[in-house]
Amino acid sequence: MTQRHSTRGASLIVLASLITIGICVYDYYTPETGLIGAGGVLLVAGAAVLMLLAALAMKFMPHRGRCVQLFLIVSILLDIIGSSVAGYFLESPVIMAAQALALLGWLINVIGDATARSIEEDEVEDHD
Amino acid sequence: MKTTTKKIALAALGAAAAALALPFAAAAQNGLNYSIFDAFGGNQEAQKYSTADQITPANVKNLKKAWEIHTGDVDSGAKSTTWGATPLFVNNTVYVGTPKFRIFAVEPDTGKTKWVYDAKGDMTPENQGFKNRGVAYWQAAAPAAGRCQKIVYLGTVSGLLHAVDANDGKRCTGFGKNGVVDVNQWSTVNHKFKLGLPQPPAVYKDTLILGWAGLDWVYKTENPGTVFGIDARTGALKWQFDIIPKHLENQTGTANVWASMSVDTKTGLVFVPTSSPSPNYYGGDRKEEMPYATATVALNAETGQVVWSRQLIHHDIWDLDINSAPTLVDIKKDGQVIPALVQATKQGFLFVLNRNTGEPVYPIEERPYPASDVPGEVAAKTQPYVPLPEPTVADTTPPVSKLADLASFGECSRWKARLRDEGRFTPPSVRGSIAYPATVGGVEWGGGALDPTTNTYVVNSDSVVQVYTLIPRGEADKILQGKLRAAGGISSQEGSPYAFKLENFLNMWGMPCWEPPYGTLSSYDLDTGKLNWKKPFGQVQKWGFYMPESWGSVTIGAPVITKSGLVFIGASMDSRVRAIDLKTGDVLWKHIVHAPAVAQPVTYMYKGKQYVVFAAGGNGILTPRLSDQLVAFALPN
Repeated sequence: MTQRHSTRGASLIVLASLITIGICVYDYYTPETGLIGAGGVLLVAGAAVLMLLAALAMKFMPHRGRCVQLFLIVSILLDIIGSSVAGYFLESPVIMAAQALALLGWLINVIGDATARSIEEDEVEDHD
Repeated sequence: MKTTTKKIALAALGAAAAALALPFAAAAQNGLNYSIFDAFGGNQEAQKYSTADQITPANVKNLKKAWEIHTGDVDSGAKSTTWGATPLFVNNTVYVGTPKFRIFAVEPDTGKTKWVYDAKGDMTPENQGFKNRGVAYWQAAAPAAGRCQKIVYLGTVSGLLHAVDANDGKRCTGFGKNGVVDVNQWSTVNHKFKLGLPQPPAVYKDTLILGWAGLDWVYKTENPGTVFGIDARTGALKWQFDIIPKHLENQTGTANVWASMSVDTKTGLVFVPTSSPSPNYYGGDRKEEMPYATATVALNAETGQVVWSRQLIHHDIWDLDINSAPTLVDIKKDGQVIPALVQATKQGFLFVLNRNTGEPVYPIEERPYPASDVPGEVAAKTQPYVPLPEPTVADTTPPVSKLADLASFGECSRWKARLRDEGRFTPPSVRGSIAYPATVGGVEWGGGALDPTTNTYVVNSDSVVQVYTLIPRGEADKILQGKLRAAGGISSQEGSPYAFKLENFLNMWGMPCWEPPYGTLSSYDLDTGKLNWKKPFGQVQKWGFYMPESWGSVTIGAPVITKSGLVFIGASMDSRVRAIDLKTGDVLWKHIVHAPAVAQPVTYMYKGKQYVVFAAGGNGILTPRLSDQLVAFALPN
């Protein structure tokens, strides 16, 4: 059974993903970054692509099942944690800042969704 | 009042003059010119010191890229380049050799190319790859009119030494045959391979002192080690020093000098670090005494006669070549000035010897070490040990890394349990032996740097565990199938009863199976032999991820010290170059370059500005990242 979920914060996650992909491409091809040709950068870029897809789903598929919502929320959070750790060891402040932005988007979405759920439940109770 | 003011003014002037003159006086006491870098080791004394002092510990954080050039001489794969060239600063020019056998002469302040010399048609390196560690420079004491009064020399790995006019970059046709000497003409015994000349020669007056690189892990008998003294103007052979005794030439070979050498330009002694005889890891067929092998030998630079020698490894079966030029130092001890040298080694020992006699300044002990269990092999019962200065590498193998062991489900500890490990000088064995310090070192071929005003000596050192395994010939033949090398680090040692397998002690993920740090930078007071400080240096970088700074990094390259109290060094795996506080060892500045800068940098003053130049070439031993970048840093205007 699908229900409407919050799309708030998804745009921030999309933006964070795009920043991450952009910086990864730059790092991968620029010798001055010290990360030229580095596999770790590809790993983060791959994770950012997955995060982008998840965020787009979050934004453009507001009507989704509870399991899908749970999957998106958990996978984006794991993605943020993993990319943050990778950004730390890549010594890339931009990747870490982008993950902070993504985390903000994630929090807005989770809180927004919880608030929406709470209002819906209140409305149901009022109707009762 | 007027007189008092004058006196105060004069006193102040005097004090200021004294303050200004003191460091110069200290540096100039030995009469050496520290404002140029005209040799691989900074100067012929291998001191790697500069009087440039515009960049200080206080302002080094402001250092910015001033210029960079790309030589275009970089390649990976089968034609992989190894570029560890020390740039020279002399004749108001920066000179640097490239791994594809070219010389670049560039403007010191702009990097603009003055000229490029290309040793065309010399692209056939046999088994030794595309390598260069720089160029040598000579100039006539009393220059005559005409060309070639200042010459830059470039060696190729096929044994050709090219002489080029330092001003115009054209060959000096009076040198050898049309500007080129083929040193292979003098390799007349067991000539198994062409002599490689990646290392520039040492220079004393009008003599070039030339060693060569070879392949001492491939054959039992091969080209015996020789050092050539040749005329700097004509390339004519003046003398030859044979390291292997003549009567042993059918049993062994090499013990050659592939590293740089140093020269006491006042006494005319050249100090020659020799390598191990062939084959590297089995000595059962060469048990006789070879006193000049794995030794530091002092030769008369004009005649090649041995003045003294000191063997630093007896009967080397670990490939512990003496691999760097000894640094010359005048030690102040017990009220006396002792003309000394410090010979750093792959074992992390710092042998401090009187450079006129070879006698130890600090005691050398002969300590007992384990016997070999390989049939036919007899390991030396004792080996020289240097307690002071404290070795850069510990005496016992570092413990197994818990992290690497956990990540490999116990592979590291299981492997170690199968190996023979009795600390330093555990002989190679058929079951496999831990080698620590191993052939990687310890101290590598850059050696250390000296501040001659304080006799502070700074040196980078590795901490690497390797596994040495001898493979009986029958089994080896099946693996090698007629080849001289096979995958997995196997070398034939053809002609001996054992082939050899060299492995790094890594787990299935490529993680080191031993505890960090993997590399350190140390500072010593050579007047007392005491350690000032020792810190992990550099960072390991794998797949782009930087490991903790406390782990340090394996390093190749060397430091340079400046009068202002800075140490400049690249060397580490993470492709960063750094400025270190000489007093504390703290990193004050770092900058990413395109590949590990595996050569010592050069620093100089030019037109009122100090530059620090690094050749960021990389070395496959450290990481696959290679480059052709020559980059200079300076303070902003």
